Amino acid sequence: MSTHSTHVYTGTYTGDAPRVWPAKVNQIPKEVFGDEALFEEELKKIFYGDTWHAVGHAAEIPNVGDFKTFDLGRVPLLIARGKDNQVRVFFNSCTHRGNQLETSVSGNRKEFECPYHRWLFSLDGTLAACPGSKEFAPDFKQEHFGLVEVKTDQYLGLILVTMGKNTPPLKEWLGESALPTLNALLGGDGRLKLLGYQKVRYASNWKGYNDNDGYHAPLLHTGFRLLNWQGGKGFQRMTPNGHVLFEAELKPATGNGFLKDPSLIEFKGSNPERGSVITQLFPMTVMTKHMDVINLRFAIARSHEVTEVHYAYFAHEDDSEELVQHRIRQSSNLLGACGMVSMEDAAIFQRIHIGNQTPGFAEFQKGVTSLTEIPTDVKQNDETGNLPRWEHYRKVMGFKREGEQ
Amino acid sequence: MSQAITAAHNSAIDALHTAYLAALDQGDMAAWAATFALAPDTRYFCTSAENDRRGLPLALMYDDCRGRIDDRVSFVTKVWAGTYQPYRTRHFIQRLSMDAAGTNQYRVTSGFTIMMTPEGGATTVLTSGEYRDLIEIQGDGDKFRAVFRERRAVYDADVLPRYIVFPF
Ligand code: FES
Ligand SMILES: [Fe+2]
Repeated sequence: MSTHSTHVYTGTYTGDAPRVWPAKVNQIPKEVFGDEALFEEELKKIFYGDTWHAVGHAAEIPNVGDFKTFDLGRVPLLIARGKDNQVRVFFNSCTHRGNQLETSVSGNRKEFECPYHRWLFSLDGTLAACPGSKEFAPDFKQEHFGLVEVKTDQYLGLILVTMGKNTPPLKEWLGESALPTLNALLGGDGRLKLLGYQKVRYASNWKGYNDNDGYHAPLLHTGFRLLNWQGGKGFQRMTPNGHVLFEAELKPATGNGFLKDPSLIEFKGSNPERGSVITQLFPMTVMTKHMDVINLRFAIARSHEVTEVHYAYFAHEDDSEELVQHRIRQSSNLLGACGMVSMEDAAIFQRIHIGNQTPGFAEFQKGVTSLTEIPTDVKQNDETGNLPRWEHYRKVMGFKREGEQ
Repeated sequence: MSQAITAAHNSAIDALHTAYLAALDQGDMAAWAATFALAPDTRYFCTSAENDRRGLPLALMYDDCRGRIDDRVSFVTKVWAGTYQPYRTRHFIQRLSMDAAGTNQYRVTSGFTIMMTPEGGATTVLTSGEYRDLIEIQGDGDKFRAVFRERRAVYDADVLPRYIVFPF
């Protein structure tokens, strides 16, 4: 009996992310997925840095007084619609002693009252009342103690925030080439209606959650195979700052003897050429419109090994009642953390996190044509679409490549 | 007389709950599906307390016809086989209320807790919640069988601790 292995590990595994990256552009050091100290750096350089983060859509808080809370890294945010219909994002922290102001995940309020010393904030963040202020410090001025706003901007109702000092304007950061795909995803004009949420935690590093490739569908997803569901024409496009855009034609499933209720996979959208649309914004926002599902995924990097994802599903405001019903049915069952064709993705997020606690590299192969050049031209079904994002990550984090000065 | 019928219905409903829990705790999806009525408009929903409270229709599992209940069995046993990380569950339920809802039908609510044990791991709470059921008694004479016409599992977790394979 003999055993063969093409690789015998002889190195010294530290588990710490290397500060120098391999020269080969298709290799990602696996240590970046399991390094706790690296996560702290990522919070500072990426999540609290010069980048925008999608934290919600205006359709989640349609009425005056509606709010939701969300976290950017460990920073709690309060997103509220004021009497003037403006959506504002505040730090969810009382300006007095810093008490967490709002505890609910969502709701509707006339104003926000801090229970500690009863400071009362209007929906626009103004400090409206603060009992006992006659005895406050000599320099206290009520108008200086409104809730602290976080810089925010919207694109077709998608709410993004940044804590960085030098973040480019939103449209510039999104990039011209991203806009048509993002528009298609957001129903054309962003006039969406919230259908509900699926919220789940994955035992996965946020980069692993984000690192799904474009070609696994027919391999990983038995659902696609059983439905005899072939992909159509399309493209995958990357931007230099790490976004990935993906559009594909959708050929309705054929040869289905598999589902007893095939209405689940009916496509009622008007344009099958854009049946599948994905926008992935650096660092960790993934949004998809697949068939009639409009799904924005607001994600939180909780730690180096926990990623929380809030799958929010929408209809369009102009939809017929019938189409809304169809969207509810399809959205609930197809693409989420328990969806027929994507539960496997969720399983992979966790399994890849476990498997990556071993020495060596995550290797990109399909579509790799050069070991030294970051690809810019990527076919629809290549896994190299991830490489520009990794390259952007490497630069933001300040890691040099082997041999680079 | 009606008292006697109620007692018999009562034990049929207990037996239904037991069959449901046993099916899921054994990972037997066919037995799970068998606890539901065969009528085409038989339904199973599993949704978060947040969606429920806010009147948002989206669910984690939205099986709004009998065919889709059978399709869910296929998801678990055929589509996902070999990809997910195996885990076992233990369901505990306690009946909270029961009201007659027409001939041989009852509205029943129960509290539930689901414990989860991943293969190779320790037991944790998956979630708790409330079942809201429409249960039908089928059969006559002294042969009764209770089945779900509708089961709505409303789970408490705002954020589930993992992806979900099996129904609640
Ligand atoms: S900390 Fe909020 S009122 Fe004092
Ligand atoms: Fe996938």
